[in-house]
Amino acid sequence: MKNEIHRTVLDNGIVVLAAENPAADIIAARIFLRAGSRWVQPEQAGLCHLLSAVMTKGTDRLSSLEIAERVESVGARLGTDSTSDYFLVSLKTVSADFTDILELASELMRSPNFPEAEVELERRIAISAIRSQKEQPFSIAFEQLRQTMYQDHPYAFSTLGTEDTMSNLTRTDLQQFHKTYFRPDNVVISIAGRISTADAIALVDRIFGDWKAPATPLPTLSLPTIIPHPKSALKPQETQQSVVMLGYLAPAVKDTGYAALKLLNSYLGNGLSSRLFVELREKRGLAYDVSSMYATRLDAAQFVVYMGTAPENTQTAFDGLRTEVDRLANSQLDDEELQACKNKILGQYALGKQTNSQIAQVVGWYETLGLGIKFDEEFQAEIAQVTASEARDAARKFFVEPYVSLVGPEAAITEFGLAAVC
Amino acid sequence: MVALDVWVKAGATQEPDSWSGMAHFLEHMIFKGTDSIAPVEFDQIIENRGGVTNAATSHDYAHFYVTAAASYLAETTQPLAELLLRASIPDAEFDRERDVVLEEIRQAQDDPDWLGFQAMMETVYQCHPYRRSVLGTEELLMSLTPHEMRCFHRSHYQPENMTVVIVGGVEEAQAMDLTSQAFGEFSDRWECPKLVAVAEPPLVEMRRQELYLPRLEQARLMMAWTGPGVAQLESACGLDLLSVLLADGRSSRLVRELREELQLVQAIESSFSLQRESSLFTISAVLAAEDVERVESVICDRLGQLQSELVSEVELLRCKRLLCNDFAFSIETPAQLAGLYGYYNTIAKAELAMSYPTKIQAFEPLDIQRLARQYLSPKHYAAVVLKPI
Repeated sequence: MKNEIHRTVLDNGIVVLAAENPAADIIAARIFLRAGSRWVQPEQAGLCHLLSAVMTKGTDRLSSLEIAERVESVGARLGTDSTSDYFLVSLKTVSADFTDILELASELMRSPNFPEAEVELERRIAISAIRSQKEQPFSIAFEQLRQTMYQDHPYAFSTLGTEDTMSNLTRTDLQQFHKTYFRPDNVVISIAGRISTADAIALVDRIFGDWKAPATPLPTLSLPTIIPHPKSALKPQETQQSVVMLGYLAPAVKDTGYAALKLLNSYLGNGLSSRLFVELREKRGLAYDVSSMYATRLDAAQFVVYMGTAPENTQTAFDGLRTEVDRLANSQLDDEELQACKNKILGQYALGKQTNSQIAQVVGWYETLGLGIKFDEEFQAEIAQVTASEARDAARKFFVEPYVSLVGPEAAITEFGLAAVC
Repeated sequence: MVALDVWVKAGATQEPDSWSGMAHFLEHMIFKGTDSIAPVEFDQIIENRGGVTNAATSHDYAHFYVTAAASYLAETTQPLAELLLRASIPDAEFDRERDVVLEEIRQAQDDPDWLGFQAMMETVYQCHPYRRSVLGTEELLMSLTPHEMRCFHRSHYQPENMTVVIVGGVEEAQAMDLTSQAFGEFSDRWECPKLVAVAEPPLVEMRRQELYLPRLEQARLMMAWTGPGVAQLESACGLDLLSVLLADGRSSRLVRELREELQLVQAIESSFSLQRESSLFTISAVLAAEDVERVESVICDRLGQLQSELVSEVELLRCKRLLCNDFAFSIETPAQLAGLYGYYNTIAKAELAMSYPTKIQAFEPLDIQRLARQYLSPKHYAAVVLKPI
């Protein structure tokens, strides 16, 4: 990043990251808490989502409408979100309105009052949203894959949870979670835009500096071990396409093999010259949407290759995807391929750090994951240094036996089930 | 970083009915190269230099874009121009790429919101080609030939239909030079069947469609009106304001009433889509099937209210600030800015793009009322309802 990042830790433990970017009259802030669905028991899956929805609906002083009006009357954007590894408050304003909206964000975070009627409403809406996900074959396939791969680890669940778990959440659950995890020593505030780093830090100190951390330490999290046992899961649906997904348990961000697999993910699925795109779409016309995914996670991540294809091609699609993954374990990329892939992933990476929101997000996220502000440089250096044999070794280690998730018309996927057994 | 965008007036509206899907299929085939560039070669050129490239087709345009480091501008402009101007549309790739488009159609058909949107377009536009799916249909696609596609290409991919936009860290003189050189030699013009355009008559009745879809969990209500095209940009801006007034944010009228107070919808949105002719204004809700009638009735009441009562200065100011800020927020990157200029130049003139905030600020409550009366009748609109079987 060309804008220098300044890192400060306030007395109460809040980490403040600031990057000045005078280019446009915009300031973006991303406020992270180490409190995502990873910190939630399976029976309470969806808690962070519900918390994120209700948090903006009332504080000790302000009603839902007052909060909305305060943001919307100045044409600002303020939102809350939760993911598996963190909770997020994001805001974006023109520079003149930044102080006021940041103050509001502080109030939402520090003194939400979770009105019972709002908990009811948002819970009902979340349940509708959970049902809506079932309308998308890709979501069904991914949900199925996630469940088989993670079993009772919190990553098994969508951040929305299930209808059952969402139905059982109470206002007390939200209050309890908030009390436990919303504390300054668990917060990272990342700001980028038309504000000097000194002003940004001073502003955060003024608004958040009097937030006191509790004397008790943060609870330690103990998570179940993920036991690898690849298997197939099939869900018949009367759809126009089959969705075929192969999943492999893969390194967490701090584990060996992360950079090598990021490279292989780019090689396989990133862009119009990527391997899966060329071999399975361009050369064989099997799909419109064919790609790979490998998210950056605190715990074991999923390396996934997938395709949507005509139902009669289900077996062909599976074979095609499997062949491409196995190939990486059996042979090395040549020098040209390797360099081209490095250029591609590093170029794409740079494109993800252009806007103030993107800068605030990337910088804050790395800090939240415990990677430090040097990770941006370190990641790029690591990628550049991956050798062809390291990449092949990583493939050999992690791409052994896939978890399989299939969604499609009964006839098409049942046929697959039989083939897999033989 | 430099964004290189090419916008071509070769969208779906240029297709005669029997060639529906041609413009989008051609966009795919452009990447299959020319006599001097092999399939995938262009993608490799861009991506091996750390750039990104892709394309999209809509009713009014086909849009091709590349973003790469400024130092590579020459190396990316030349091949992009080569692809666009001298596309060979190889026979050997044609059938296979058609399979890809068929998969794209299948994927879309598994998406209820896409199905609902298509139904809505067919209902709100009775004559205008906007009513047709950009993807085309399987039946019509199967009847297209490479020769016909070359005809479409040689007819439409000509200089008067093209806008090249370059935004980023590069000198203007250099950019102009590169562009003139690269976009110098176009293919010979061929004559090809043209669409005989029929003007869309005003919507003066109720039009309804109800679809029952398997696997649908939540019902959908989509209401649509036709609006001014780009030739009346001021009015179009007013409709943008109306869409925000109605459903952007929790303090907006419909979100507040239907989501927060009456609690009858999972979500409600409104959007205004500026098009060259006859823009599209929509209000859409995700809701339980049993609430559709009541929600539609509330929406119609609120539209009636817009006609009879002036909006307050405070409320209008909120909408103006939201739109002006969103405008600023949406042009932070070279690619976003290139897209804005390219789109405006394709449907009108690039210069109009930057006039948006000024036009928005100029609105008074009386203007809003006038536009609501003119364009958003609670009695005459297109409604599509999706319900679970």
